[in-house]
Amino acid sequence: MDLNYSDEQLLLKESAERFLKDRYDFEKRNKIIASETGFDAGIWSEMADLGWLALPFAEENGGLGGGAVEVSLIMEAIGRALVVEPYLASIILAGGLVEKLGSEDQKAEILGGLFAGTSRPALAHTERQTGFDLGNIAATATRSGESYLISGEKPLVHGGAFADIFLVSAKLDGAVKLFAVPADAAGLTRTEVKLVDGSRASDLVLDNVSLPASALFSAEADTLAEIEAAYDRVNAALASEAVGIMDALMDATVAYTKERVQFGKPLAAFQALQHRMAEMAVKCQEARGSALLATLSVDAPRAMRIRGVSGARAKIGKVSRSVAQEAIQLHGAMGFSEEMPIGAWFRRLYAIENTFGTTADHLKRYGEIIRDPATLSGSLLREPV
Amino acid sequence: MDLLMTEEEVRFRDEVRTFLDTHLDEGLKRAERLNPSFLADPAIGLEWQAKLNDKGWAAPSWPKQYGGTGWSLAERYILDQECERAGEPHFRGASIKMIAPVIMRYGNDEQKNFYLPRILSGEDLWAQGYSEPGSGSDLASLKTRAVLDGDHYIVNGSKIWSTLAHHATRMFALVRTADTGKKQEGITFILIDLKSPGVTIRPIRSICGTHEFNQVFFDDVKVPVSDRIGEEGEGWDIAKYLLEFERGGAFAGGVLRAMLTRLHRLASEPLPDGRTMIDDPLFMARLAEIATDVDANDMLELSAMSKVQAGGNPGSVPSSTMKIERSRIRQSIAELAASILGPNALRFEEHRPLHELPEESEIDEERKVASAVYFNSRSQSIFGGSNEIQLEIIAKTLLR
Repeated sequence: MDLNYSDEQLLLKESAERFLKDRYDFEKRNKIIASETGFDAGIWSEMADLGWLALPFAEENGGLGGGAVEVSLIMEAIGRALVVEPYLASIILAGGLVEKLGSEDQKAEILGGLFAGTSRPALAHTERQTGFDLGNIAATATRSGESYLISGEKPLVHGGAFADIFLVSAKLDGAVKLFAVPADAAGLTRTEVKLVDGSRASDLVLDNVSLPASALFSAEADTLAEIEAAYDRVNAALASEAVGIMDALMDATVAYTKERVQFGKPLAAFQALQHRMAEMAVKCQEARGSALLATLSVDAPRAMRIRGVSGARAKIGKVSRSVAQEAIQLHGAMGFSEEMPIGAWFRRLYAIENTFGTTADHLKRYGEIIRDPATLSGSLLREPV
Repeated sequence: MDLLMTEEEVRFRDEVRTFLDTHLDEGLKRAERLNPSFLADPAIGLEWQAKLNDKGWAAPSWPKQYGGTGWSLAERYILDQECERAGEPHFRGASIKMIAPVIMRYGNDEQKNFYLPRILSGEDLWAQGYSEPGSGSDLASLKTRAVLDGDHYIVNGSKIWSTLAHHATRMFALVRTADTGKKQEGITFILIDLKSPGVTIRPIRSICGTHEFNQVFFDDVKVPVSDRIGEEGEGWDIAKYLLEFERGGAFAGGVLRAMLTRLHRLASEPLPDGRTMIDDPLFMARLAEIATDVDANDMLELSAMSKVQAGGNPGSVPSSTMKIERSRIRQSIAELAASILGPNALRFEEHRPLHELPEESEIDEERKVASAVYFNSRSQSIFGGSNEIQLEIIAKTLLR
């Protein structure tokens, strides 16, 4: 057991924070979300140059062989800087699934562009009725000679607004499968949706979209299980993003209350406020512990994975909301204005609470897992494999 | 970075499990289940300590040279988890975890040679003499006075909240030896034989119905100068060192998880109307929330341990966070357990210790003790530096 970051990991953390501090300040971010595309191609290509886009992929697939810990460090920095580019959706979620399910040809075709920053796949899986029951999808795939015909509706596709290719799930002979669908395919309608945190997604409608046989990802694999595992990877990443935001809110609140003078002294000199900030710090610490457990659980057996990941999303949902609400309150009216990042962090945390399962969904999923007393009472330490 | 045990640690864990299977008998486990207090009934605690001592495990945190185990932090963590899972009586308190590290660090050879073996053997049981009626969180304002008279001090004053002082043979105490300078500078650390003439002990029953606390009065009590630890006026530094042990030197992950597991078992038992709480979504939501708190706290403990193992310091914000969260988690588990008793929560068994009463089913006994456990849990956020003091420590670090 060792929970210390390695020197390389600390270097990555520092370089990620510095890069975003220099190149992605709050003003720049506001320009990006107000722009026509809601996306900065220059930043994305710089991320490619830094190796971020290839980071979590295996070296044999052309990646850099980074693991969940490396991803968590990038995500913390992304949280603080409020990055709206689709690192999570295109790299971790869709890219991760391509790596798990793609044939050599599919991997070569999609991942090459993804690492270079020229291709941004997006996963189109959940539907209106899916909720958190990931197998509950209605989109269908039918064979038509050598090709497949796909029909269905996929609302709120994360990363969809910037995608050139979609990984669309549909039921083929009753089993969930994934298909590569080019964004310009005939029969595919993409409608841009503005999200509560300033980023963008897409609503997709597929009406008899015709695809070649080569569009199918792995006929044999248990695709649904891989999608669930991929969701756990992004949920662990979201937990780290939330931790990055919470720390940013904490720092901003401390700095503001030290500066703001009322009744002849800084707000930070009032004990009533000091203790509220100390309570925020307690929540930041706890969230950090939870997110680390999620990060170190993404490759664990399913029950342990759920315990780590959904436990973190449930816990962090609750404490991050409290920290964000307190940060606004302690900033007073300034915290209520869009001119400061406080409100943007608050809204991003709210978005996270409703992305890839709500806080309540994750608490329920965690609750089901700990009904088994062996899971509930089990140590966090694991036996060597 | 990983959560993996080494092969050696797995073997160690299995050795601990085997030992507990064979030595922690049903009587000891039952007594602990029926104990609403932080520490076990002394008769039970000492019986268990003797068994551990035979194995050489009575003091997991002590270095080998003093009769401890010399274990790594990871091994101590594993021992703690396994002992809690098995339901051991909690008895590593003021003797093993507080005064012993102080004697090792600040005591002379004579003091070490005399006192440390007596702690391991159970011959000495120590009580804490810190708080006074007028000095709680503001500990340095203490007034109990020791006046030098030849080769001994004459002590007058009173200490309060001394856990198990009525069973203890000795007390370590902070006393005032000077009034000059800052109030912290006139404090001295002494060891008091509680059999000395002039010592009177008044019991204080706590709200859980148990007599665990006491007020101890000193009326011209003679304490040999050779029972002073460190120099005169060095008491405050020693006290701070000891409080570090009280705060950071323990793991709570094991006990919190064990309490949660007991609550799960209680909630799985059918109620008189046939329902089980574990099928109640409101109950499960609450249980799940607390379980996520336990996981998070566990990770903080493991992170702090990793830092220490690498030669670092966990830092004051994580340490105080753990103190605060452990108390809150313990309190919320106890509160939730008591909340499912229904009208039977009104019944209160006054006899102490509860394990002396005729044996009932395990679940009935869990129900019998649940209210008292809840009442007792309120002390968690008060002792060892109250949660408000912890918030002060965090705020000071944040805002400096």
